[in-house]
Amino acid sequence: MSSPSLTLPSPATARNRRLLETLGALAIAGTYIYLVLNQPADITGGPGSASALIALSGFLIGAVLLIIGVLPTLPVSTLVLIPVALVLNIVLGQFVGSTLVPFYLDAIGTVLIAVLAGPAAGAATGALSSIVWSFFNPTVLPFAAGAALIGFLAGVAARHGLFRRFYLAPVAGFLAGIIGGVVSAPVAAFVFGGTSGLATGAIVSAFRSMGDTLLAAITKQALISDPMDKAIVFTLVAVLVYALPRRTRLQFPFVRRYRVLAGTAISRPTGGSTGKSTGQDA
Amino acid sequence: MRLHPLTSLAAAGSTAVITTAAASWPLSLTVIAAAAGLSVAGGVARRMLPVVAVILAPLVLSLLAMHGLFFPEGTTVLAQWGPARVTVEGLHFALQRAAQLSAAVLVLLLCSFTISVPDLVAALSARGVHARFAFVLASTLTLLPAISSRLGRIRQAQEARGLVIMPGIVGRAGAFRWQAVPLVLSLVEDAGTRSAALQARGFGSTGHRTSYRAVQDSPVQRWVRLVLVLAAVAAIAARLWQPTAGAS
Repeated sequence: MSSPSLTLPSPATARNRRLLETLGALAIAGTYIYLVLNQPADITGGPGSASALIALSGFLIGAVLLIIGVLPTLPVSTLVLIPVALVLNIVLGQFVGSTLVPFYLDAIGTVLIAVLAGPAAGAATGALSSIVWSFFNPTVLPFAAGAALIGFLAGVAARHGLFRRFYLAPVAGFLAGIIGGVVSAPVAAFVFGGTSGLATGAIVSAFRSMGDTLLAAITKQALISDPMDKAIVFTLVAVLVYALPRRTRLQFPFVRRYRVLAGTAISRPTGGSTGKSTGQDA
Repeated sequence: MRLHPLTSLAAAGSTAVITTAAASWPLSLTVIAAAAGLSVAGGVARRMLPVVAVILAPLVLSLLAMHGLFFPEGTTVLAQWGPARVTVEGLHFALQRAAQLSAAVLVLLLCSFTISVPDLVAALSARGVHARFAFVLASTLTLLPAISSRLGRIRQAQEARGLVIMPGIVGRAGAFRWQAVPLVLSLVEDAGTRSAALQARGFGSTGHRTSYRAVQDSPVQRWVRLVLVLAAVAAIAARLWQPTAGAS
């Protein structure tokens, strides 16, 4: 009597996707732990290409699994925003990336999607951004896992209301930057043997001149650059999101459901709106 | 005969993996020379050169400055100024890494400059890779030039309304807001319209799809792709089996 639904995913496919997401997260975490535990033997003895390969394959497999798990579950209204986010990442990041500022600003689009559509969409956007961007700049490909992590953390911050108060957004960005920077540091160390920008390279050199190992120096550089960078990015995204008209903001179910932004409370049909209506757009 | 897009992608990917795994001077330099030769032969050298320069110049300079001057593990000192020491080991490490990375970057860029994006999208959808990934890829690659020009028009419009970019961080942030808000606003609105149009055309459905565009493929190319992927996996396995073999 009950024919299989043509539009809704069956419970088995939903379980498979959850499994893919978990495997992807495990691959990224496992790769990071392995690299940190095994690093001292490798970096100075020879070119360290075994670690480079492990970093590349582990992080990339994790990112691809996340994309395969998340992408089919996104609604079309979120999916069409992903290319827009990617273009914003590329247009703004390409400009800042190799200049004399130790920041990247290459995650504005990713964080924007995460705030509007949630952690899963943010993670998929981060990973996709690195993969698509590598068509123009192959050096960003290894950072797919770090970008996915930033997208995920931004979504989690948005869900817990850190974008409701304007001053909390940079704090959330700072914390996300610490985690993202520490996870991305082994990629910079083992795949690139340094960083790809001049200003970030100068900071690493300063730590190296004090006798740090390469991974330690790059991790310290990441702890200087990334939290500041992500604090700036989260603030810029908060500015952008609050500048959007209320109608546009409220078209995203994630924003309505978790009351991500101040003044986006839905008036309940039982009467009496929850929260003050402070949604002026001026 | 034209190469199938997945064949050139597999060739570029496995060359990059094998070069990284081998970590040998002669191979890296051969790959760099081959990629340069192929780009000239394919007529894309002129377009590729600025992109390569923008990516590789900061990378190589940063590596040389970082390891050439500061390499605490180095023992053979060539010159010393205060805390900066030029060591043979540091220069060797920097040059080796630079050659390896340049080879991988050149090969992958050559692939993306010669590949036909519509063919790649058609090939990906035909292989059962989610049509959604193909949409994201194609949409980004076609949106990018359009959005860059739209950003230019927004800047002109705001300048006509009296926007002056002040020096200093506050002035720049203000200018950023005046340009980014209209851009993001129009992009989000466009995306909403596009989403409705796509949904009306059955984009969200999961049924079988047919494509207007047929990409030529041959059994030989299928075999070549399989061999390339296996070679890359074998290279990774060999390197993990003997982590320090052939390290010069």
